[in-house]
Amino acid sequence: MRYLRAALARLTGLFTGPRADDDVREELQAHLEMETAENIRRGMRPDEARRQAFLASGGLTQAAEAVREQRGLPWLESMAADVKYAVRALRHTPAFTAVVVITLALGIGANTAIFSVVRGVLLKPLPHREGDRLVYLRHSMDGPGGANLGFSVPEVRDLRNGATALGGIAEFSSWTMTYQPEDGAVRIDVGLVTGNYFEVMGLAPILGRVTDARDDGPGVAPVMVLTHETWLRRFGGDSGIVGKQLRLDNKPVTVIGVLQPAPFFPVRVEALLNMVNSDHHLSSFMVEGRTHRMTEIIARLAPGASVQQARAEVAAVHARMRGDFPDAYDPGSHYRAAVIPFKEVLGERARLTLWLLMGAAAFVLIISAANVANLTLMRGVRREHELVVRAAIGAGRGRLRRLLLVENLLLALVGAAIGVVIAVFGVELLTALAARYSPRSGEIRLDVVALGFTFGLSVVVALILSFLATLPKEGACTAWISAGGGGQRLSGGVRKQRLQRGLVVVQIAVCVVLLAGAGLLTRTMARLADVDTGLRTEQVLTIQVPLLTPTELLFNPAADGSAKERYNRMREEIAALPGVTAAGVGSPMPLRSSSVGFEVKAEGKPVALGEAMPRAELRTADPDFFRAAGIPLLQGREFAATDRFGSGWVVIINKTLADRYFRGQDPIGKRIAWTGDVLRFTPISSDWRTIVGVVGNTQDGGLDAPPRAVVFMPFAQMLALGGGVVIRADSNVTNLTAAATRIVRRIAPAAPIEEVLTIAQIKDQSVAPRRLNAALVSSFGVLAVIIAAVGIAGVLAFSVSARTNEIGIRMSLGADSGRVQRMILKEGGVLLAIGLVLGVIGAFFAARVIQGLLFGVAPHDPVTFTAVALLMAAIGLIACWVPALRASRIDPAITMRS
Amino acid sequence: MDVQQGTLALMILRTLEVLGPLHGYGVARRIEEISQNSLKLNYGTLYPALLKLEQEGFIKAEWRKSENNRRAKYYALTPAGRRQLARETREWNRTADLIAAFFAPRRDA
Repeated sequence: MRYLRAALARLTGLFTGPRADDDVREELQAHLEMETAENIRRGMRPDEARRQAFLASGGLTQAAEAVREQRGLPWLESMAADVKYAVRALRHTPAFTAVVVITLALGIGANTAIFSVVRGVLLKPLPHREGDRLVYLRHSMDGPGGANLGFSVPEVRDLRNGATALGGIAEFSSWTMTYQPEDGAVRIDVGLVTGNYFEVMGLAPILGRVTDARDDGPGVAPVMVLTHETWLRRFGGDSGIVGKQLRLDNKPVTVIGVLQPAPFFPVRVEALLNMVNSDHHLSSFMVEGRTHRMTEIIARLAPGASVQQARAEVAAVHARMRGDFPDAYDPGSHYRAAVIPFKEVLGERARLTLWLLMGAAAFVLIISAANVANLTLMRGVRREHELVVRAAIGAGRGRLRRLLLVENLLLALVGAAIGVVIAVFGVELLTALAARYSPRSGEIRLDVVALGFTFGLSVVVALILSFLATLPKEGACTAWISAGGGGQRLSGGVRKQRLQRGLVVVQIAVCVVLLAGAGLLTRTMARLADVDTGLRTEQVLTIQVPLLTPTELLFNPAADGSAKERYNRMREEIAALPGVTAAGVGSPMPLRSSSVGFEVKAEGKPVALGEAMPRAELRTADPDFFRAAGIPLLQGREFAATDRFGSGWVVIINKTLADRYFRGQDPIGKRIAWTGDVLRFTPISSDWRTIVGVVGNTQDGGLDAPPRAVVFMPFAQMLALGGGVVIRADSNVTNLTAAATRIVRRIAPAAPIEEVLTIAQIKDQSVAPRRLNAALVSSFGVLAVIIAAVGIAGVLAFSVSARTNEIGIRMSLGADSGRVQRMILKEGGVLLAIGLVLGVIGAFFAARVIQGLLFGVAPHDPVTFTAVALLMAAIGLIACWVPALRASRIDPAITMRS
Repeated sequence: MDVQQGTLALMILRTLEVLGPLHGYGVARRIEEISQNSLKLNYGTLYPALLKLEQEGFIKAEWRKSENNRRAKYYALTPAGRRQLARETREWNRTADLIAAFFAPRRDA
């Protein structure tokens, strides 16, 4: 209380200064006069009385000053003076100030932006209640499509009974439905969830309610909970949405609530519905089929249980399942179930990329800080004169240090302020990038924590800069004067020069690491772009237009016939458009992976026990599909119009599958069949099918994915699973877009047209995230190189100017300009060489870390490393040349005289 | 002899308690008299101490006419100052007793 009151009084004292000063002077004057009067009363002469009184006072000005110090906050006042002084000093050196501020702004801005993203996507606690107790169960096996199988309802049941460490198990099944507002129709991804889902996930509604146990089972009303994003985007945040009915798959569904913002995994969904919305999910197939895996499990750890416990229990339950149902778990495929903290699984795709960018940004900051440190050191030398004078007239070391600190803080904070502006744009750009990798991109904010990070960063930079500078020692004044007074060379001392050179070496090394990273990623890009997609990509347009929802497909045989008829009409009408050379129907579109795939067996080719059953993607194609898509036929024939329902099952396989079963033989005429327990739950038969053709591999799983086995079935012999039209034109196919879309729209007015893209665009899409990575790291690299080049040139220029006398003497003794140039170049060259060596070593390790982001290039790719080293050496030499040239033009006559 | 800050504050408070409201000159005279002129207070010591006590709320100041009709700033004890003085006096006595006991002649010698 007492201190608070005193502090408050002092704080107000800051502002009442001038008035209070008069007050004090009057008071002191009164004291002096009273004392004088007393002295006179005691018999002194008036002038003697006044003199004595004055002697006793100890000095009125000193007293007034002492009172002033007691009144206000002296350190704050002198700080204000420091700031004022710093601003003036910095304004005197605008070039220095601008370079430092811009350098720091770039470094700090990049770090702030990327830190915001890293925090939002990887570090922030989940929005779920006690989100760190949530775990994701991943069921996987060897082979393509086996990375994330999902669980079947019987498997969920076993886990629920057997794994007590899982306190609650939420079931989530992603499903596609057609949302039919008044105008048009659109496919939406939704999640079908059990009633306990929200309770387990720890998610609450912001409007209405969420589902609970009452919404489980058949015979209940179909209801849906909208995700926050969808509510805002599709319904404009309509607060009256609860209770409204929306049409989904031709049936009304009641909106019961809007969910708090939350990330979803493994797919982004627009709404969460109870199971009754899908007949399939209540069918015995789904409920009883052990291999019918369509459910994702997110579980909440039981109180006190650890992830390790859960892992052990889940492994035990899974082992028991494998033992009890050997048919459902092909031993050769190594089925396994992993328990992963939910937060980790949400960040798994983004993690490497983001840490890569964070590392690159940190490197840029190191280089900028090193540069600024060098600039400050050089400026410090020029200012030594000033500092010595200040020390001589009584500024303590602490005071000088504080002056430097204030100056550097000012620089760093102005840099940070500009950096924040840069970060605002950076965050926007990076959020788009992060959205490709992480369901949590919506949580990215440039918020108080990020700004705190920026502030902390700039304070640390300022502190480091302030303590790099050496201050004049006590008694430095005499040393300085004896060293020749007006000279510039009390310093440039060995220690400082060593520090500057060390910083240059660090800059070069870090640049090399960054450039190597950028080079490897850029080469990855080039390698990807060079990947043969397996088809002729030019002038092909695809229009993906699924006519049937999964529910219709499974439960309405009549719908299938009419859908096929409409697809055919689309094809015929589009093929008749001028310029079209071929049009085919099939699913999915080329370069898109198929979500449907099963085990395949070949007649007379039993798979050895313990060996994984080959799996193949199921794709459909009509007779013109291969020609339109440009997929080469290697053997046999394409499908024909005569391959229709009931005419004898035929298939075309791709090269990968042909090699797997028929290496060195002619596969034409051989027979294969779909197999596996899971077929029971599909409308697909396990009949033998005759191979009529072999086509080339296509990169449907992504340009960097190994080719997968594919079985094409005639479009006419298979249900219309999704589907779309592939159009090849003789010239500029994009001109056909409008006409083709019009035809599709007319024939299928209510169907959602999902994508209208050329094959080239599809290919480009799969490269885009990597391109952004490469572009970002490259721009960091370029930035770093520019900053470092300025740094090297600056340090050498400084060294030249410090050695002007020496060089002058050398030249007057007969050294020619070439010799002087070589001397300076050598000085820079040594630093460059050390930096390059360290950088290459660093890059070697850094490249191993980012190995997962590379494709087609080894992490120690000699081409990249050589190119980077040469580039850096060239830039470094140019940066050395400028000061070397200047040194060689020194006029000995002038230097000697000065 | 120099005075310590804390001690000076105590002396000022005590002076104001005994003599009532007083200007800075009066306080200085009184302290010098009591110390029989062994303490000399220059303005740079006295006035910051007075200001500090004022900031802490133990004394308050106002401008008044002095006995010989000159304007002077008078300081007076506040209730908080009175309590502080009592507290400090107790503390001081205790410390003084302790120190005295410490330096008492050894009986067992």
